[in-house]
Amino acid sequence: MMDLLDLILQPWIFIPLIFPGLTTAFLVLLGIIWAERKIAAKVQMRYGPLYVLKPLGGAIQMIADLLRYLFAEPIIPKDVDKLTFIFAPLILFGLSYLPTIVLPAGPGFTAISSEMSLLILLGLLTLSPVFTMILAWGSNNKFSLIGGLREGYLVTTYEIPLFLSALSMAVLYGTLDITAMVEAQKNVWGIFLNPLAAIVFLVLILISTSKFPFEIAEAESEIVMGPFTEYSGIFYGLVMGASYLKLYVLSLLYALIFLGGWYPLPSFLQNPPFLAGIMVFVKGLVIMFIAIFMRAIYPRYRIDQAIQIGWHKLVPLAILSIFLSLLVVYLGGV
Amino acid sequence: MAVERVFDHLRAIATGAKYLFLKPRLTLMYPDEVEDLPRGYRGMITYNHETCISCSLCAMVCPADAIKMYLPKEVPEGEKRPKRYPGINYTRCIFCGFCVSICPTFSLQHSTIHDVSFYTFEEQIFRPEEFAKGPPKPQYDKEPVKVRVIPDEERGLRYERV
Ligand code: SF4
Ligand code: SF4
Repeated sequence: MMDLLDLILQPWIFIPLIFPGLTTAFLVLLGIIWAERKIAAKVQMRYGPLYVLKPLGGAIQMIADLLRYLFAEPIIPKDVDKLTFIFAPLILFGLSYLPTIVLPAGPGFTAISSEMSLLILLGLLTLSPVFTMILAWGSNNKFSLIGGLREGYLVTTYEIPLFLSALSMAVLYGTLDITAMVEAQKNVWGIFLNPLAAIVFLVLILISTSKFPFEIAEAESEIVMGPFTEYSGIFYGLVMGASYLKLYVLSLLYALIFLGGWYPLPSFLQNPPFLAGIMVFVKGLVIMFIAIFMRAIYPRYRIDQAIQIGWHKLVPLAILSIFLSLLVVYLGGV
Repeated sequence: MAVERVFDHLRAIATGAKYLFLKPRLTLMYPDEVEDLPRGYRGMITYNHETCISCSLCAMVCPADAIKMYLPKEVPEGEKRPKRYPGINYTRCIFCGFCVSICPTFSLQHSTIHDVSFYTFEEQIFRPEEFAKGPPKPQYDKEPVKVRVIPDEERGLRYERV
């Protein structure tokens, strides 16, 4: 029994399996969608999900939804490219969750410790949109195709400033290792040193996970469900979950490189090292909360407006943030 | 200019945050709470067979062709020209109330019943005999709380228990 526990607490099992990996990601998935519906409802003076476990405000609504997705018949339309149609959602979901393995859960507690972990993470993040486009093409549906093309446009829009603003933090801390970046924030959080990069990165989280006001690829009122129009049953559950997983990964990354990661670390969380992950998780939750809160406030931008914001505003701001980092380093650094 | 836009965004977010914590909501918890409907509410139609004079005005005026005049199911003995009486088709009725207004003998009236469901299309067609029995009563699991709608300057609507 103890051996098993020891094994699970090894970083190379704990990180992919417990936090920030599968288990936490799954629980977050159930919680965050419920929270999104609940928050949007409250702002609009409604109740939101309520009748599944009424005393807790319908908190297990998503479990009911999950069961429904599992037992609903997944309809595979006649004219789709079957292989793509079935496997693209699985790969998309897997790839959205994959970047969690690079994230550290505490000081020195990493599954893959690499000097390049930020680059690995950013690289892994770029893989999943490709599969959104592939499944949109494979669906053989006009709405899917339009949604996929929009996703493609957005990828070209957000990826450059996303990388630039993340790398500006690397310039600031002088390292590409996420753990080292957190250690560098022991005294001052990155968000105070380079607020420009922090704002740009936050907006880009909204764009890249298609949250409002940039929920353009899915745009329910215009193109049904965008790339995911033809999906039903558990496949729909997977493709919908994928964007929330991406939000989860990016929020944790935000907490790690801008919000000081596990610092300030209270003494009762110092030992064993993975307990520090609780701090990261709480900060990540705040970012996720902000991202889903936007749904209740903003309407949707048009695709051209979003691309304009990306290229005209966010790219120059991201480049500026690199210079800001250089200035901070020049003035004394961290 | 740009600064103003930033403030606009902040204002929008602040408004959202305010509503997040504003307690009362507009939802009427329907099967548990039911609105106490005012007089003159245009619900399903009640029909008084005793006072109807078979004048057909209701069928004539109905803009949705929901009312038709039916021959009685069994024609009484020796009756050469049996009278026709109105029946209603609720799949067509738009609850405009013209039939109620035009009926010279006030045989047609509005009830406040509107929340009834049917299993089949045919069930929604009421021949004169069923029409006279009145619309079906809505079935609740437990007795609902009656509430009244009050216009509210700040929120638009408010519910008050009767
Ligand atoms: S309420 Fe209007 S639509 Fe309905 S039966 Fe009467 S006249 Fe016809
Ligand atoms: S208008 Fe009134 S009296 Fe005339 S047929 Fe219709 S219900 Fe009867």
